[in-house]
Amino acid sequence: MSDTIVAAATPPGRGGIAIVRVSGAAVREIGERLLGQLPQPRIATTAQFRDRDGNAIDHGLALYFPAPQSYTGEHVLELHGHGGPVLVEALIRRLLELGARRAHPGEFTQRAYLNAKLDLAQAEAVADLIDAASDAAARAALRSLEGEFSSRVLSLSQTLGELRAQVEAAIDFADEQIDVLSDTALGARLEAATTQLAALSAASRQGRLLTEGMTVVIAGRPNAGKSSLLNRLAGHDAAIVTATPGTTRDLLRERIVLDGMPLHVLDTAGLRSAGDEIEAEGIRRARAAMAAADRILFVIDAADDPHAAAFVEEQALLPTGVPVTLVFNKIDLAGNDAAALESGDVGADLPSVRLSALTGAGLDTLASHMKGCMGFEAGATDVLSARARHLDALTRVDQHLAQAAQQLAARNAPELVAEELRRAQLALGEIVGTESSDELLGRIFSRFCIGK
Amino acid sequence: MHFAQSFDVIVVGGGHAGTEAALAAARMGAATLLLTHSIETLGAMSCNPAIGGIGKGHLVREIDALGGAMARAADMAGIQFRTLNASKGPAVRATRAQADRVLYRQAIRRLLENQAGLSLFQQEAADLVIEGGRVRGVVTLTGIVFQAASVVLTVGTFLAGRIHVGLDNYAAGRAGDPPSLRLAQKLREIAPRCGRLKTGTPPRIDGRSIDYSALAIQHSDTPLPVFSFLGRASEHPRQLPCHITHTNERTHAIIRAALDRSPMFSGAIEGVGPRYCPSVEDKVHRFADKSSHQVFIEPEGLDTHEVYPNGISTSLPFDVQQELVRSIRGFEHAHLTRPGYAIEYDFFDPRDLKASLETKSVAGLFFAGQINGTTGYEEAAAQGVLAGINATLARRGAPPWLPARSEAYIGVLVDDLVTRGTAEPYRMFTSRAEHRLLLREDNADARLTPRGRELGLVGDDRWTLFEAKRAAIAGELARLQARRFKPGQIPEDWAQRVLRGPAPGREVSAFELLRRPEVHYQALIELDGALAIQPQADDRLAPQVVRDLEVQASYTGYIERAAEEIERSRRQEHTPLPDDLDYGSLTGLSNEVRQQLAAVRPATLGQAARVPGVTPAAVSILLVHLRRHRERGPDAGTVGTVGTRGAADPARTAR
Repeated sequence: MSDTIVAAATPPGRGGIAIVRVSGAAVREIGERLLGQLPQPRIATTAQFRDRDGNAIDHGLALYFPAPQSYTGEHVLELHGHGGPVLVEALIRRLLELGARRAHPGEFTQRAYLNAKLDLAQAEAVADLIDAASDAAARAALRSLEGEFSSRVLSLSQTLGELRAQVEAAIDFADEQIDVLSDTALGARLEAATTQLAALSAASRQGRLLTEGMTVVIAGRPNAGKSSLLNRLAGHDAAIVTATPGTTRDLLRERIVLDGMPLHVLDTAGLRSAGDEIEAEGIRRARAAMAAADRILFVIDAADDPHAAAFVEEQALLPTGVPVTLVFNKIDLAGNDAAALESGDVGADLPSVRLSALTGAGLDTLASHMKGCMGFEAGATDVLSARARHLDALTRVDQHLAQAAQQLAARNAPELVAEELRRAQLALGEIVGTESSDELLGRIFSRFCIGK
Repeated sequence: MHFAQSFDVIVVGGGHAGTEAALAAARMGAATLLLTHSIETLGAMSCNPAIGGIGKGHLVREIDALGGAMARAADMAGIQFRTLNASKGPAVRATRAQADRVLYRQAIRRLLENQAGLSLFQQEAADLVIEGGRVRGVVTLTGIVFQAASVVLTVGTFLAGRIHVGLDNYAAGRAGDPPSLRLAQKLREIAPRCGRLKTGTPPRIDGRSIDYSALAIQHSDTPLPVFSFLGRASEHPRQLPCHITHTNERTHAIIRAALDRSPMFSGAIEGVGPRYCPSVEDKVHRFADKSSHQVFIEPEGLDTHEVYPNGISTSLPFDVQQELVRSIRGFEHAHLTRPGYAIEYDFFDPRDLKASLETKSVAGLFFAGQINGTTGYEEAAAQGVLAGINATLARRGAPPWLPARSEAYIGVLVDDLVTRGTAEPYRMFTSRAEHRLLLREDNADARLTPRGRELGLVGDDRWTLFEAKRAAIAGELARLQARRFKPGQIPEDWAQRVLRGPAPGREVSAFELLRRPEVHYQALIELDGALAIQPQADDRLAPQVVRDLEVQASYTGYIERAAEEIERSRRQEHTPLPDDLDYGSLTGLSNEVRQQLAAVRPATLGQAARVPGVTPAAVSILLVHLRRHRERGPDAGTVGTVGTRGAADPARTAR
């Protein structure tokens, strides 16, 4: 039996129910780890879909079809959960973590055919289907690859190609005095490629927010009104709460779809503490959550602290690189214009929203501000669209580049630098197509005068 | 007249492909005839006097692991030995030897003449006997008919050869061998897809006219590298140094001024030359900003003054050659002993071959060497071994041996040729091998000798030594993994000296220590006793065992990752595609993909996936059609796996 594949079986979008299908040799093991135990064959069973820490990602129905009595003829697990791209993607990511891989277009049907689950007359249809599906995928990829993203990926691919040519030339033409490995320029180029990749990943990550949602952390001093803001967001007319609160003491987790915009909201404990052990753990988790967030809403009690002294004090504790929006809460108490930072004040250059979690005033402003941040509104220039598959590829490219840098620093095995670069380019090739070894040699020969 | 004896295998051509093919067939027990136009030139090095190099040395070791001649001959003829990339990792280290042409030829001839079951015959092959799509024998120029079930053709550059010196050119095989028009005609019928390639040589120089005092010198490495698994440095003849000089601006000016008399630039040469071995005029033209190019002065032998100035291959007119050579430092008074020239020749599109090197159109007929578009002695010899093996297996009705890309450079070489064809003379580079970390010189024996033994290629002496090495490695590896050091057990002074830092703070095994780049086996011995090899063991053993352990340690992780990757692609590699698949009728494939697949006619799904332009989706579609073909097609028997990797392919065994 072959490796295990996963894909959403229902069309993407915000449906009531989404079905995620897993097929392959590892289905039983994956099912046990996801669900706690495998359901009885062919009996719809309610279950919690659990993440690595045992927390529920979603709950719904699970159906297990042992081979060969399944759609594909392999072991199949079907998971029926709540609709919505956020949950579906979270579930798929969990399944990838458990050892499945994303299915290619038409792959379930192909397996069904190869395992004689479809009759012979369907052969042509299946071939056409794969073609059409991969064609559609290609078109979709192309659409997401149009414009800046595409040119950036190609440019990164070029950079990697050049790097490989340099390293490979030094390996295959040792007599030619191409000593690029002691050349510090190579390290610099590798670093430049890593930077290029980081920019690309950041940009495409923003694009991903459109379909997969944005993680927002609500931070601030105790009593600034974080929990009431969360409740207000969850209770907003346009919001649908799709999950129950999380299980940790200090991290309240909500999944909210606001005007069709998926949000993960985490309400954290205050950053400073009196120091008991449980609170310290809460703070550690809050920091970790903030570091992984797409945006921090820093809530300030506008009545008590009109010049955002709390933010000034705690700014240093916030993770760098995560954008911050200042939320001046309690304007019902403070008056609408009480909190206005003047230029020169710390935080004056940050976006800010004034609202009252109690009355709901200003909530619409916050919602449109967040939509703006996610590129839901026109005018967000750097938002690039990339599909989850592409992001996976970029992550692997990044890992290989990091390994390459490490091997380069060790200085005794350029062939391992070359190996990591080859794998990096291979991963990137999943987005832009691969380069053959002959094309690589072509780069070498056009760049270096080889041949004695 | 018909020659009385009929043979199992006839090999036509006595170059590097032909000699290895004949030796391999005979080692396997086939009654073998080597038919050559000149017994005197068996094993001749017609181009530069060197064996090995990066990628090429890897091939030589693989040929050796299969019991071949090249490494043995190089050990007996090598007059300068170096390990290239010695400062880099083990996968890309490679042995290279300058060889005395005469000694090399003698060594090869001795091996040929002492090989049981191998007959030599001198006469030019003029025609092939082909009946019902099968080869039956070879006809010589004087009409002698030799019969055989398998024929291996290794006829090099003799097809439509044309030599260029300046604007003069004349028809010729390499080094003046007359071309055979009748055979050429026949081959064009068998393999209609031809291409034209070009290669060149530098002029040769009388070493007595060179002033070496001004030149950089390059000696053999110490200790002297050895090529063969069975070789010893003590077998090497006296060692000579190479020298290095450089072209200069004046040289380049001379060349530029003469480009109008260059056959390459005037258009007289149409063949495509190798990008990695350009003529000096090409270098000067294409890399105009480089003010100097290296020239390696390679000795041709112990008993000759002639040298080979590697790096100034040229087809410029002789007067220009003389002038440009004399503009180079050390060559001011050089006497040229032979002019350099370019040679154009036809080759057959290797996509018309199966991965066994058998032609797709004539059963039992194999092609090996330069006629398949490769260049280099090593590339030729590697194909020769494979063709000799598969010609013998075909004679027996056994499935062919098809080394995988992950198993041998020979596999990479042949797969590249039959899958992608070639647009320039094909030379091996390590960057062509995606599993480079697995395909090392140091483990060629482990990769191939067991298979060679099964095939009957490996004699008892090699096998005994191989088994001793394998056992020693396994034993010592187990010991290193079991030997554990608790914190405090490693002396601080050892740690400071070897690790350049404190001793590890946790328990480590000796093997884990060896994985650190700064720890060599020698340092481990200091720490913990000696190598687990019997003192009375063969002297060739210990260094090889040590090297193997160090390599295993340094590539930990990478080797496992590669093994997983190979396992993942196994199913594709072993899924055969039927010979009669009509690519034109397959729906769902783009026209371009259909044309490419039809041009190659891949033998397996894995090979199809490597055909240029074939996407993963196209492979899926092929899979679907394949099943339909099996269920519907008249020859449901083609289901199975390919070659000796599994069940026989009936297309090959039905004879």
